Amino acid sequence: MPESSPFSLRDKVIVQFGGTGLLGRALVSSLGNAGATLVIASRNRTALAALAKSEQAAGRTVGVEEVDIGSEPSLHALRDRVLARHGRVDGIVYNAVARTMKTANDDLAAWRTSMETNATGFFATVRAFGDAMAARGSGSIVNIASMQGMVGMNPWLYEGTAMTASPDYFFHKGGMINLTRYLASHYGSKGVRVNVVSPGGIYNPETPQAPAFLERYGKMTMLGRMAEAGEVGGAVVFLLSDASAYITGINLPVDGGYTAK
Amino acid sequence: MTPWHSLEGKSVWVTGGAGHLGAVITAELDRHCRQVVCFDLEGHAEALVRTQNLTRTQPRSLDVSDAALLPAALDAAIAEFGVPDGLVHLATASSSGQLLETLPPAEFQNTLNRTLPPTFVLCRVLAERMKSRGSGSIVLFSSMYGVVAPDPRIYPDPLTPNPIDYGVAKAAILQLTRYFAVHYGAAGIRFNCITPGPFPNPGVQQAHPAFIGELAKKTALRRIGRNTEIVGPVLFLLTDSSSYVTGHSLVVDGGWTTW
Repeated sequence: MPESSPFSLRDKVIVQFGGTGLLGRALVSSLGNAGATLVIASRNRTALAALAKSEQAAGRTVGVEEVDIGSEPSLHALRDRVLARHGRVDGIVYNAVARTMKTANDDLAAWRTSMETNATGFFATVRAFGDAMAARGSGSIVNIASMQGMVGMNPWLYEGTAMTASPDYFFHKGGMINLTRYLASHYGSKGVRVNVVSPGGIYNPETPQAPAFLERYGKMTMLGRMAEAGEVGGAVVFLLSDASAYITGINLPVDGGYTAK
Repeated sequence: MTPWHSLEGKSVWVTGGAGHLGAVITAELDRHCRQVVCFDLEGHAEALVRTQNLTRTQPRSLDVSDAALLPAALDAAIAEFGVPDGLVHLATASSSGQLLETLPPAEFQNTLNRTLPPTFVLCRVLAERMKSRGSGSIVLFSSMYGVVAPDPRIYPDPLTPNPIDYGVAKAAILQLTRYFAVHYGAAGIRFNCITPGPFPNPGVQQAHPAFIGELAKKTALRRIGRNTEIVGPVLFLLTDSSSYVTGHSLVVDGGWTTW
């Protein structure tokens, strides 16, 4: 990438929450490729060691930090460690998610556990780092929601497969989208931008979704296919970078036109 | 190859490419593309190429407000430059500039005529020609006033509030974007639009500082947009950075429509 590229994240310190999943790993690659000084924060540090090592071998500045999103002291300690090492934070990507439910019939305990991370943990994270960026007068928060925070569940997609759609996901992703707007207003005058990316379903090349699901899902999009994990990074890099300096409070779907029809 | 490199070797057309927003877009595309064709009213594109020393941009005079004249003009441009890989269509900002109370219906109709059929023809002609290639990215321009209504209280005399015909035409661009995105999705052609917030031109900024302050207060970022801040969003939508984004209205408004 040329130094003059408006999409560059060179000299920007970015903290990404959640990096072990299909999308998380692809985001690490996209952010690193855009030149970010990247800190991946996860509950499971060892699971990320190999990824960080291969990124470092490719000449990228990637570190791994452990954090418990359910604990505010843990988040504050992470913030302080990052500030001590890098002097500042320029952006965060909130990609952590707890998948605690499978169906609408699951025990309410599974719902409560979901909210512990996906509602309370999410808010605690964006507040801890949003405040730190506001204190410096600039920053960008990019939350990863989902198309499933924008539209209802389509049972036809899942018919005849073992796949299910979990109800808590539709709830907290919808909440994430509107809390993004709240935070955009809250932090706007401090120069901190807050936006959300809503990916459509992502194809998993390692353990592919059921063939019937893939065929039906393709028909629901205008591009005729699920997203590839690497196709979300462009939107995230754009919103983290100075290329989007006048964009705040938006929800950017990366869904192949699923919600345009 | 990184996605934001994907303009290399590409040809992009920009209509209204010499205006307040168009000029900075054209200049940035000139740095990345193989070829840029800048369409604007008589002499404007030529002047931009000259003053900015653009080396890959071909200036052409074209009034895109008459749908009847467009097919022949577009055929001629395609014969000269080939089918473009991308289009940025800015020249849709027709406006009566009149007060709602006294706006003649014919003037209302005139704005729609000068905006919608030409945009429809432009999109259809280019998408049909892009089809055989199986790819293309078209970026239209709507406005926050196609999403929300202007607040008449912030327009000091003698400024007339942004007129109703303008907002109605811009709202239609949002639906035109979605319709084309769905229609041409299978052909691999993406359609998106930019929905800008307050980007008043320098003339308005100088003449009406109090009004600018009122605009700034309506945004979460507490300031109006700089024209250079429209460039990144356009590049994002044109390039493979957005390869799975279609039918979207990308709002660039400093948070105006957030609350």
